[in-house]
Amino acid sequence: MPYMNLPHLHLLMNHVPTVGTVVALGLFLLGMARRNEHLRHAALEVFFLIALATLPVYLTGVAAQLEIQGRPDVSRPAIAAHHDAALLAFILIMLTGFVSWLALWQFRRHGRSSSASIGGVLLLAVLSLAVVGPAASVGGEIRHPEIKQDEKAIAPAGWVSAAAVQDLVTTKPWVWPTAETLHFIGLSLLFGILFAINLRLLGGFRGISYASMHRMLPWGMLGFGVNLITGMLFFIAAPEQYTANAPFLWKIICLMIAGADLLYLTVFDKIWALEPGDDAATLDKAIAATAIVAWVGVIYWGRMLPFLGNAF
Amino acid sequence: MMNLFTWLEGSAFSTWVREAPTIWAFSTILTLHTFGMGVLVGASGLLDLRLLGIGRTMPLGPLESLYRIMWAGFWLNLVTGSMLFAADATSRGTQWLFFVKMLFVITGIVTMVLIRRQVYGARTEPITVPASVRGLAALSLVAWVAAITAGRLLAYVN
Repeated sequence: MPYMNLPHLHLLMNHVPTVGTVVALGLFLLGMARRNEHLRHAALEVFFLIALATLPVYLTGVAAQLEIQGRPDVSRPAIAAHHDAALLAFILIMLTGFVSWLALWQFRRHGRSSSASIGGVLLLAVLSLAVVGPAASVGGEIRHPEIKQDEKAIAPAGWVSAAAVQDLVTTKPWVWPTAETLHFIGLSLLFGILFAINLRLLGGFRGISYASMHRMLPWGMLGFGVNLITGMLFFIAAPEQYTANAPFLWKIICLMIAGADLLYLTVFDKIWALEPGDDAATLDKAIAATAIVAWVGVIYWGRMLPFLGNAF
Repeated sequence: MMNLFTWLEGSAFSTWVREAPTIWAFSTILTLHTFGMGVLVGASGLLDLRLLGIGRTMPLGPLESLYRIMWAGFWLNLVTGSMLFAADATSRGTQWLFFVKMLFVITGIVTMVLIRRQVYGARTEPITVPASVRGLAALSLVAWVAAITAGRLLAYVN
């Protein structure tokens, strides 16, 4: 296998949020103009997958920052400006993904998405695009002399500052323990709900229709949201403890699989149709088993971070 | 009491848990404890939410099997928790926060048992939720959140 490191991975994936948001927003607008529900749903699903893919883009970006920021041939202000703009873009893209997921869940449950969630997706996607474009552009200035501007022209993003977040988490002694506590509460909520729903597909709680269990999914998503926010606080505060830590990479790989499962559980027709007493198909059982293994993996690699890696 | 804690902490087993230079001792026991927490609190929390009126279309009957999951998580954590306590008996045994955690864990377990008795005790179909159960479900959620908070904070106080 050719040699590959995290900065390399960042270069490989860093156009996904920008190009992906353009494509998904285009599909979404087209679906609205043509009043085509399928097209609109496809766009919502792409928004969710883009959000999922943006997580490793951000994480590897910070790894790249740690790797190159000491070098003489790169622009430090450009790196800081890129990080701040990327963090804001990351937040907006994640929010777009969450609201898209909610719109899909609502459609599944009620036969239609609320206008608030559809409007929310539209607004957040436009904002994401407005921020992610400049974030990508200033990222290019770090290393591409052909487009490099005067360093003074690189303005700090202003709204969000990674350094300010880092400062908050590391200097206020209550922030880290509070975030850890919330991370464990979120873990229990998330794992309890997703374990039970996947267990239904594997043949447990057979007397309950899948549609009834699907009602609980947003609570699992709430736990996911709490853990994403608190997890990001840890990562931004002490990135070097994670980026150089193999268990953390495994955790993120498991998290991507488990995250994709959240979309699968929301939108797939075959499992939605399972009435009380019905048995899921073998493929759906295999997916459910994989998802449970992935969640166990997330917990395992997360908890083992300090022991298997160099963290803390 | 302190003599007992000192003896416990000094035992060969406790020393192995605490100091063995392998990932299979302290770190694996701690990870299993975290996993057991997710299983116990997750399953209990799901039932609590249902009893508080969320996802009413889920029939309560089949959810009784959540108790098998809860008990599995409980026994796993009783065993791993005892091992972790033995490894640091003199400090854990003298920390008031540890006993606060135990109080909330006991509250959670007792509440769990009482809910089962009230919801599934009568064996009538369809199962209805008595008003008093909602209070117990809310208490259960509060007890688990408090137990996790106390447990997590134990790592930061000495």
